[in-house]
Amino acid sequence: MGEEINIIEKAKIPSGATMFFGFPDAGLVGVIAASEMIEQLKLAEVAYMDSKLLPPVIVLHEGLPHSTMRIFGDDKILLAISDIPVPADLLYPMMHTLIEWGTNKKVKLMISLSGIPVQDRQEAKELKAFAAASTPEALKMAENKGVEILTDGYMVGPQAIMLQQCSQKGIPALAMLAQCYLNYPDPEAAAVVLQELEKISGIKVNISKLLEKGEEIRLRARDVMKRTQQEMTNVKKGQEYDIPMYVS
Amino acid sequence: MLADERKRSVIDIINEHIEEFERWLNQFEETLTEKPSWSKKNSAIEPLKNITVHPKEVTMTVDLPFTKENTLQVKPLGENTLEISASTKRKIRLNELGIKHQEGEIQKFHCHTRLPVPVQMDKMEIRFKKGILEIRLPRKHENRRRKQ
Repeated sequence: MGEEINIIEKAKIPSGATMFFGFPDAGLVGVIAASEMIEQLKLAEVAYMDSKLLPPVIVLHEGLPHSTMRIFGDDKILLAISDIPVPADLLYPMMHTLIEWGTNKKVKLMISLSGIPVQDRQEAKELKAFAAASTPEALKMAENKGVEILTDGYMVGPQAIMLQQCSQKGIPALAMLAQCYLNYPDPEAAAVVLQELEKISGIKVNISKLLEKGEEIRLRARDVMKRTQQEMTNVKKGQEYDIPMYVS
Repeated sequence: MLADERKRSVIDIINEHIEEFERWLNQFEETLTEKPSWSKKNSAIEPLKNITVHPKEVTMTVDLPFTKENTLQVKPLGENTLEISASTKRKIRLNELGIKHQEGEIQKFHCHTRLPVPVQMDKMEIRFKKGILEIRLPRKHENRRRKQ
């Protein structure tokens, strides 16, 4: 499965980094948060994903082509991001490849940034963020750092695959999820997830710009959100609203 | 259970399936027609929207960031279509949105939306909060059944 997608390295990849994932999903929380990290932490493109399975799309920047699925980083951070929604049938091979690559680079912790949709999002005065982990040790670490744990429920999307695969391999990983809109870009939720991230990783990202420019970000993210809605329907993202029934 | 009630519930189930099929068909039609979200001619962008059909009402939300609330208009067009428009807080040039190959600007949000089930347009309720418009419309068939 991992052979179907290749990661092409463009720069020296650090060993022992923390690896983040920010993919288009509920409220585009992960992508918005990851974009802010890239800009503020001045992360450079260090690798990209290449595969015949990927949609025939490139993103142009200053007239030059770039893969829509790239890895940014510095000497302590690796951050995988996608500019376009990941087709449902690519989620497994993509996450498998990324996790295998991260393991080879001796990544110490994997963190997926995303949102968890709530029905009454419009009424929420203060958004909450939650964490779920791949191992009991990672869960304890998040709890000790004051992050609320998502104890029960369904998780759908890249972060679900990450937790499952990291759990099988004993790799410490966290899914950080902020309450958000399902179908509308949610920069406020991205700000909340970045705040919580600071507790876990110590990485400080100024969220004031996200909050000030929130409406403009929502307008700009409109088309990516629209296409992400279609992929979320394909993976039955709405299942995250379901009442959980854990059979013990 | 009375025979009438049983009969009605079967009809309800069939209706629900038909409505579900219509919603799927609408979504399918949207995916078939790849079109830009904005119109240079009208200086308008189509907002993101979401329609939920409940047993007694239809709720629709529309994402209208960066709009002037006092310009928001929701107009019924016939029995099952709504026209929604709102001006943006300022003119946004297309190149500000990363569109470099074409000149133009966005001045408003605009869309026509066909509702998937019959509704009572005269009982429409709207509210606008945090840049999101919420429209609530009672469903028509509920009344018709009550009269039976």
